[in-house]
Amino acid sequence: MSILANKDTYVVIQGGVAGVNAARRMAEFCYLIKRSLNVLAFVYPPDAGKTHEIPYGSGLVAVPIYKTVGEATKNHPQINTSLVYIGADRAMKGGMEALDDSHIKVVSMITEGVPEKDAKILGRHATKLGKVFNGPSSIGIVSAGSCRLGVIGGAFDNLVLSKLYREGSFGVITKSGGLSNEIIWICSQFADGITTAIGIGGDTYPGTDYVSYLDMFENDLQTKAVVIVGEMGGDLEERAAEWYGAKKRRVKLLAVVSGFCQESLPKGMKFGHAGAKEGLKGEGSARSKSDALKKSGAVVPATFGALGPAIKEAYQEMLKSGQVKEPVEPAMLPKLPKTIEEAMKADEVMVAPLIRTTISDDRGDEPCYDGYPASELINKGYQIPHVVGLLWDKRLISQQEAEIIKRIMMLSADHGPCVSGALGTIIAACAGIGMSQSVAAGLIMIGPRFGGAVTDAGRFFKYAVDNKMTVDDFLAYMKKNHGPVPGIGHRVKSLRNPDKRVKELVGYVKSLNIKTPCLDFALEVEKITSVKKDNLILNVDGTMAAVLVDIGFPVDSLNGFFILSRTIGLIGHWVDQKRQDSRLIRLFDYLVNYAAPKRREVPPLK
Amino acid sequence: MAKVLEGPGMGLMKKWGITVPHYVVVTSVDELTKLGQVNEWLKKSKLVVKAHEALGSRFKLGLVKVGLDLKEAEAATKEMIGRQVGSITVSQVIVSEMVPHKEEYYCAVKSTREGTDILVANCGGIEVESNWDRVKRLAVDVGQQPTGEALERLAKDAGFTGPLAKKMAEFAGKMFTCFDSEDAQYLEVNPVVLREQEGELIALDAVTLLDGDAKFRHPDWNFAFAAEFGRAYSKHETEVMAVDSKIKGSVKFIEIPGGDTAMLPAGGGASVYYSDAVVARGGKLANYAEYSGDPPDWAVEVLTDKVCSLPGIKNIIVGGAIANFTDVKKTFGGIINGFRKAKLEGKLKDVKIWVRRGGPREKEGLDAMRALKDEGFDINVFDRNTPLTDIVDKALLK
Repeated sequence: MSILANKDTYVVIQGGVAGVNAARRMAEFCYLIKRSLNVLAFVYPPDAGKTHEIPYGSGLVAVPIYKTVGEATKNHPQINTSLVYIGADRAMKGGMEALDDSHIKVVSMITEGVPEKDAKILGRHATKLGKVFNGPSSIGIVSAGSCRLGVIGGAFDNLVLSKLYREGSFGVITKSGGLSNEIIWICSQFADGITTAIGIGGDTYPGTDYVSYLDMFENDLQTKAVVIVGEMGGDLEERAAEWYGAKKRRVKLLAVVSGFCQESLPKGMKFGHAGAKEGLKGEGSARSKSDALKKSGAVVPATFGALGPAIKEAYQEMLKSGQVKEPVEPAMLPKLPKTIEEAMKADEVMVAPLIRTTISDDRGDEPCYDGYPASELINKGYQIPHVVGLLWDKRLISQQEAEIIKRIMMLSADHGPCVSGALGTIIAACAGIGMSQSVAAGLIMIGPRFGGAVTDAGRFFKYAVDNKMTVDDFLAYMKKNHGPVPGIGHRVKSLRNPDKRVKELVGYVKSLNIKTPCLDFALEVEKITSVKKDNLILNVDGTMAAVLVDIGFPVDSLNGFFILSRTIGLIGHWVDQKRQDSRLIRLFDYLVNYAAPKRREVPPLK
Repeated sequence: MAKVLEGPGMGLMKKWGITVPHYVVVTSVDELTKLGQVNEWLKKSKLVVKAHEALGSRFKLGLVKVGLDLKEAEAATKEMIGRQVGSITVSQVIVSEMVPHKEEYYCAVKSTREGTDILVANCGGIEVESNWDRVKRLAVDVGQQPTGEALERLAKDAGFTGPLAKKMAEFAGKMFTCFDSEDAQYLEVNPVVLREQEGELIALDAVTLLDGDAKFRHPDWNFAFAAEFGRAYSKHETEVMAVDSKIKGSVKFIEIPGGDTAMLPAGGGASVYYSDAVVARGGKLANYAEYSGDPPDWAVEVLTDKVCSLPGIKNIIVGGAIANFTDVKKTFGGIINGFRKAKLEGKLKDVKIWVRRGGPREKEGLDAMRALKDEGFDINVFDRNTPLTDIVDKALLK
């Protein structure tokens, strides 16, 4: 048996992220003792209507989130307990909401820093309703083998080490969360473990005191002894002593009290717990508490360290008198499944990778491009074109090549609002669409007729040069197999109205005295085609393509240079429209040739 | 609990209708001189000048001067401001009017488990200490208000008669309202005096302890809280408090000059047992410290830095129970960084470090601590199988 929390405890957790963490801990315990998850609902208004997925063993349990405690208990009438883990400023309201729900009998509050006045009101309200309010600042309640409420008990390994999977004979009540775990551990090592352990919280006025729980333990026949871990401040320990001394009790009481150091420390000093404080007149000192407990007949070891042996002695007596029997440990306990990461670390599992990369690695403190740390590239004077070279062609390009790429990017960054790409982006921007979608709308236009001829131009010029074709052979080959030559021809530019960008790029590359077989071939092609028709000139796509092939970039990467450069312009157009707060645009009907049939009657449906 | 100095404390009382003497808090003589030009009472009344700092025994230190005129008050202010007392420099004084009176009374309101106690006595000043049986109590239940009749009965019970009983009842009622509305934990006025001319009760001196946890609903608490143990917080203490207020979980640090055993334990509960163990073994604590609630590693590093900076320490106790959810590896990571930094700065010479801990990722955390041995630290590491405070025995019993 146990008190407060048992096999029939079903819980609603009031709280967000912190509440989910508590639920995970509770699920680990449920898994250990082979019981289904005892958290049935969350209450957290911002996420109402959604669910939290709580790991249970190797699976996940979906737990619904509600707006109010009332909704949660209406949908899950088995709920009889609430765990509150919300902000201190909302704790009072949340606690009251839970106490006022007729389904809920026990409310345990983990929240720390709750104003004293609020805690007192909550405690009083619970008493009036005949319910239990445990906390604030309570780590929780755990009943071995049946229920964990809150985060008490620690990590999964500790649950096992402390034998929380089966009942023992010792009840535990502590103000301190950390020490509750310590005592549970001690009870499992020096004796047969615990029945129920309760953290009542270290605040000045916890909602429930030792006495209310001592009464419950007294009535729980499985519990043979109770261990109290107290501290200076308040009078809860004195009241426990009073209770124990008042008449013959079935349970044996063991207690330690901290705070003797106060005698040699500055008066009024603040310890970690709000309640750990002597009164202005020295009341509530460790000594007075310890004396009161001793007088009542409780076993009061001089130090915390002596508690283990004292528990052992009490347990040995119980064994001798036949009050308890040595526990039988289960042969097998469930193991908490490891995550993939943990299992890999322990060399227990091999995973077939889903993808393979050969260009970059983000696993260190900074990304490496083709093995080179980004910061080192920066510090050694490398520029954006070098990063392009590393990520697109896995090589550190030369300064000269970088300069060419930089110029290509600068020349093709934008070409005004009228071209397909920019227009696409602008229309989207005016329709109120976000940046990434609007820029994508512009990028979608890049294809065989707009900006997307670089790759194909490069491929065919390279084919011709690799196969040592003459211009005539090449043109015949293209005509026969592919159609117009990509990279040749312009909508508005011509021999008489040349494209300055092409002139600029060709001039620069030629001035470098490098071998440019593709560019030379492309210019030869232009000489022939432009005679046939004066707008069949080498356009900017074709020029870029020829130059990039000449400096060694793979054909498949070539369109990337246009896409990358033009993205700069498209982003500019989106920002520009956004800043002007442009209105939605639509075509004027006079810009449309309505060639559809005239209005006519719809025939009856057959 | 958070102590509030007299100035802001009297401000809160005034807010709830309690009459307080005229007072000003100034940081310089100039300020007082200027205020003297526009406030009649500063020119007319006899004045009291007190250092407005969290200092005990101000009388003995000469930091309270009474019966002054404005000129003398200016001289006293000049003398007090800038005075160094221990680690504290007096930066403010409170100048208030002396209220001539014949009799002194006492009124206090305090929090109890059952609700609130209102205390009244018809003696005051130091007299009340030796006549505690004359203090009468009215217990008000949680969430309740005292009735006018109950308050009057309290006053009469305490020996007030006639119209004064009614006045005292009203005064106590206002004290309760102030206490209840301001999330106070303790309010004490000693003495309450009767101003002869107007016949009204005045709060001459105020002790105000507020509930720091309720600060979120009191936007007008624009004052700093003062240390409660008769001295101001030190620089390092204030720095740790600043970290504490920013983080999830908590870090706490109080210096105790003259000690040689430094404390760096985890947990509000365990930390006190560790301190007890040091005292029980005849050690001298150099500080109190505690971290809990899975604080970030950098916060624990700051705390470690302060602990390592304590002068004259011989041992550092890095104790802790078996944590529920505080990540041992992460928090130990903060401590280890702090130790390394301290060592580089030449601290930790001849300092022995003692570690005991359990909890999530205890093995990794303890292994990392053990590895410090290879870096030349004098460190002894124990796991959950060593009882909680045994490291203190090992450190101090040689």
